[in-house]
Amino acid sequence: MPLGDLEREVMTQLWGSAGPLSVRQVHEAIRGRDLAYTTVMTVLDRLAKKGVVNRERDGRAWLYAPVQTREQMTAGLMMDALEDTPDQDAALAHFVGRLSPEALAAAIEAARRQG
Amino acid sequence: MTALLLGALGLFLSLVAPGLLAAARWPDRAPAPAVVLWQAITLAGVLCALGVVLAGPEELIRAADGNRRVASAALVAALAVAAVIVLRLLVSLGGVMWRSRARRARHRLLVDLLDRAEQRHGLDVEGLRVLDGAQPLAYCVAGRSPRVVLTGGALDVLNTTQIAAVVAHEQAHLRHRHELVRESFTAFYQAVPRPLRSRAPLDAVRLLLEMVADDAAARRSGGDAVRGALTLLSDDSAGAGRDRRLSRLADQQPRSVALSVIVLVGAVALLVLPTLVVVVPWLSVAVSNWPL
Ligand SMILES: [Zn+2]
Repeated sequence: MPLGDLEREVMTQLWGSAGPLSVRQVHEAIRGRDLAYTTVMTVLDRLAKKGVVNRERDGRAWLYAPVQTREQMTAGLMMDALEDTPDQDAALAHFVGRLSPEALAAAIEAARRQG
Repeated sequence: MTALLLGALGLFLSLVAPGLLAAARWPDRAPAPAVVLWQAITLAGVLCALGVVLAGPEELIRAADGNRRVASAALVAALAVAAVIVLRLLVSLGGVMWRSRARRARHRLLVDLLDRAEQRHGLDVEGLRVLDGAQPLAYCVAGRSPRVVLTGGALDVLNTTQIAAVVAHEQAHLRHRHELVRESFTAFYQAVPRPLRSRAPLDAVRLLLEMVADDAAARRSGGDAVRGALTLLSDDSAGAGRDRRLSRLADQQPRSVALSVIVLVGAVALLVLPTLVVVVPWLSVAVSNWPL
């Protein structure tokens, strides 16, 4: 499995879980893919370095949790895609228009709830 | 005389021409050449400012029959001011490009993690990512490894041809490196001191680039598909730009070759003629007079 797919799969497991997961728990959840335990550990480590996953110690094991829910991260991305002022260094080109007022309010609310 | 001519041309290019071009509707029939014309106007405006700075002191002193020491000091000061202008532009450009790249890299990282890969079966598009969300949205993330992003909401409201049209539109942005054009105009906007700066070139160029991408999409999927996608992915709040895009796509002949040629010739003339008519004669006089 390519590294990108693996990272996405690991994030999906973390987002789907009610609480933080250990490497072993993530490994068991996606075991069907014939993955080495150390590979899962490396992927979680990379995700923590990228700042999308929090790592905390629980006794002898590390526990991992996403820094944002899937909804919050999605809302943040859409705001980033649509935010478009000259002082903001327009970095992304979107097809048309802007967020409807309701959708914008929902996105701001989701981003505000984070943390 | 040279400085006065360049100054007048520079003022026209930075204060009058942008307003005229932004208000005109003919660029809708030659969007890509119109972008080149915007670039030529902006660049020629900068060159005029530099020309005034360099020629002004020399001409004043020559007219006043000044001595060589004053002339040398004026030359150094003029070169310093010109260097500051050029540096400010380059620093601004570097900053915008660097920040945009960082922002896009972060965006690409997150969109890869959030991708609903199972929703894009049947869509064989390089770098396509699908985001959760009912808000219909389509955009692209430029870079070495570009992404085309659609939301689930966009996939729900668009039919297959319209999806192909939207993807072709975004791929045109990526293929023609439109992000570089936008970054250069953003950098120019940010480099101009606040009371003088204007959004007009930035907004006009952005809309023209959308038209260029629309044309590419219309060639691939037909104008009706692009119009349909535009209508479904936006509402009236999207403003006048959307209406201009829609109406030109309804046109049987949205683009004019003759107009394109004229505009391109005009753009080149804008950069070349002032140099030949004003600067070259000045240079020959100045070089023979200067204490170099
Ligand atoms: Zn576009």
